[in-house]
Amino acid sequence: MNRKDILNMREWREIFETLPVLQKFFSGDPDAHGINSFLRGVAIYMERLLANVDEGKPVVWYNLGFNSELIYALDGVSPLTIELPGALHSIIGNNRNTLDFIDGAQAVGIPADCCSADKIAIGAIHKGLLPAPVCTVGINTPCDAQVLSTQVMQELSGAPFFAIDVPYYHNEETIRHVAQQLKELIPFLEQHTGRKMDYDRLREVCEISNRTTEAIWEWLDWRKQVPLTQSSKLVAFTLILQILFTGSPEGLEIARALLREARERTERKERFFEERVRAIWYQDPVWTDIQIYDWFERELGLTVPVDIFGYYANEGLIDPATPDTMLYGLARKLVNCHPMARQFRGDMDMYIRDFMHLLEAWKADCCIFAGHIACKHAWGGIGLFKEACRRAEIPLLVFEFDMFDPRVTPYEDVYFEVERFVNEIVYPRKLRG
Amino acid sequence: MSEAEAILGEVRALIPRQTNRYVDEWKASGKPVVGYFCHYVPREILLAAGALPLRLRGVGSEDSSRGDAYLSARVCTYVRHVMSLALEGHYDFLDGEISTNTCDHVRRSADVFVKKTAVPFHGFLSVPRTPRESLYGYYLGELRKLVQGLEGHFGVKIGPQELRQAVRTLNEIRGRLRKINRMRLEEKPKISGAEALSVHIASQVLPPGVFADLADRLIPALEERPGLDTSRARFVLVGAELDEPEFLEAVESQGALVVADLLCFGARSVLNPTDEGASDPLDAIGRAYFFGSSCARMIGDFGRRWEELKRLAVEARADGVVFERIIFCDPWGAEIHNILQRVKKEAPFPVLSLTREYNIVPTGQVKTRVQAFVEKIEIARAQKAASGGGR
Repeated sequence: MNRKDILNMREWREIFETLPVLQKFFSGDPDAHGINSFLRGVAIYMERLLANVDEGKPVVWYNLGFNSELIYALDGVSPLTIELPGALHSIIGNNRNTLDFIDGAQAVGIPADCCSADKIAIGAIHKGLLPAPVCTVGINTPCDAQVLSTQVMQELSGAPFFAIDVPYYHNEETIRHVAQQLKELIPFLEQHTGRKMDYDRLREVCEISNRTTEAIWEWLDWRKQVPLTQSSKLVAFTLILQILFTGSPEGLEIARALLREARERTERKERFFEERVRAIWYQDPVWTDIQIYDWFERELGLTVPVDIFGYYANEGLIDPATPDTMLYGLARKLVNCHPMARQFRGDMDMYIRDFMHLLEAWKADCCIFAGHIACKHAWGGIGLFKEACRRAEIPLLVFEFDMFDPRVTPYEDVYFEVERFVNEIVYPRKLRG
Repeated sequence: MSEAEAILGEVRALIPRQTNRYVDEWKASGKPVVGYFCHYVPREILLAAGALPLRLRGVGSEDSSRGDAYLSARVCTYVRHVMSLALEGHYDFLDGEISTNTCDHVRRSADVFVKKTAVPFHGFLSVPRTPRESLYGYYLGELRKLVQGLEGHFGVKIGPQELRQAVRTLNEIRGRLRKINRMRLEEKPKISGAEALSVHIASQVLPPGVFADLADRLIPALEERPGLDTSRARFVLVGAELDEPEFLEAVESQGALVVADLLCFGARSVLNPTDEGASDPLDAIGRAYFFGSSCARMIGDFGRRWEELKRLAVEARADGVVFERIIFCDPWGAEIHNILQRVKKEAPFPVLSLTREYNIVPTGQVKTRVQAFVEKIEIARAQKAASGGGR
């Protein structure tokens, strides 16, 4: 597969045609540093992928629980997360293709009750959209859906596969266990990519990753300001940043742009909507219509300063001193910081503890549990989560939807649920003090 | 009624609820009973602790509403029914329970078990998600922690001697079950799939001595039993958790026979005997469980599972494979996709994929699907015979 082949595919062509349109649209708002930087980052990433494919350079596939630093450290190797085409179509508002991928995956045997994040990946692979990998890397976090997607990825790619096991527990042994596997992964990657790991380059990648992390932390701190001045919809971008860009200059640029935008808007005391209610959006963003957050702000005065995909835990940076310290730091990042992997893989205590922290630190009034139907780990803890919210007297909205498939719960129903919750429960309660 | 049918009747009478009179007697004698969720919990360790290992089941649960309240309706019905029973107090007789990170569903039930039931001891095994040698040490470490936890709680010593005795005991049970499973493979099997599954379930909810006596009566009785007709179709059954013989009865009611299976409640649980001569019995136990025939939750092992299924299908002279999974199960969702991909490439056998709910056998639907599958097989066989081929 080369550049021409990729651009000849309608699904890719539509992405390449839409990106500049969106860039032009958002460039009209010079303050929209975050979105503009993200679109620029995607364009650079895609161009680099095309160039590498054209030159016959290796591509490595992985699933959404993994971070890309180790792959970026291998010269000329392209990291490619298998969810990319479907997720991009969703973000650019081209749901027709996302739904095609979902339906395509179901048509070849993926059960309808499985996760649409898997289906967008599997549908795209079945359509032959992804350039063939020299090898694949699978990780079992954050959830069972990754057990599905990694096994299908291995089967469909036919390429050598390396699995990373992340244990259940939140402890030091878990980090060391994952670090040891990253150490095993390096010779595997070297063998199949034909590139030797350059530890000086890895150090640079880790330092970029650290600066990106620091920028994200500072950005999230700015979003603690009341009222929120930056758009709610940006917060979930932390996850994409970590999956696709972490360790790359584009990732750093996106994080810094998000920070700059939040800081400048706050310093100018800019408010483009009246904030009445702040919610922690716990669980999944509405990727099928990311503009829904604008509607919440405009119509309901509802802001989301942080969500579970956006929260990046403040648990240490990568120590670039030696190869071992770097691998340890990368492992800790994967298991303790990576959004979802942190909260979803272990017991419910971490999930609930993080929520309580977000609620307090980001000064929220309520919780919106937007339950992607396939998130069994989250739904499986809903009883304990409700009890925790009830004990703490936190208003809680729980509803079902599918983050990539609007056919499951129509937008109108999401609007209705959220509107009723804000206007009839949370805001009156807030007024009562 | 033949001797075999009488014994199989005894077996069926022992399994329709989560406990039975032999468990009650065990408890009455002052010995502990420890429930466990998953095949990756070695029963030998519980037995060596002087406890009766009891596989957790949701049978007898009339509805799953108590479980639903904590786990939601998006979690598999097996786990929801088990937890409904536990939340209603039906598992309060347990002296302990061992959960695992088998899947998101079992993992969440562990939270509820710990926080909402009266069971006094909770163990947990984080089982690595891929059976790679470099990860085995982690599993063995988990087993050591489980041993320490049991020793501390129950005030017992689980040494090499106790473990070796437990290995011998359970190997003998597995040997008997393999013997019964071999009788399923015959041209005219001596036991149906539903009956065989009942026997396997009994082996996981009875004290080993009781089960051994029962199996020792059953085996010669089966040998005397006339074989069953498999002229319409012979199936291999593969898939997720299944401890409901009623499901197999619905399948077999259409004239087909399930002559082999790869189920964790069934034959898959007895494929791998533990090395009795190993110098470290805990290591031998760990290796048998970790590297044995795997569940779909094990990433990167589909190739081995596929080869195992093909081998079994050949050995069983199967006309087709029936795949079953409980709705909402992701690991087995990947498995059916991958099986269908391989079937498309290699066409070793036709596959019927059935999605089911626990505790509800939609008899009409299952029968209709199986009937159509059997007819498809018969038509293919007739066409092959007409063109000069055999069965």
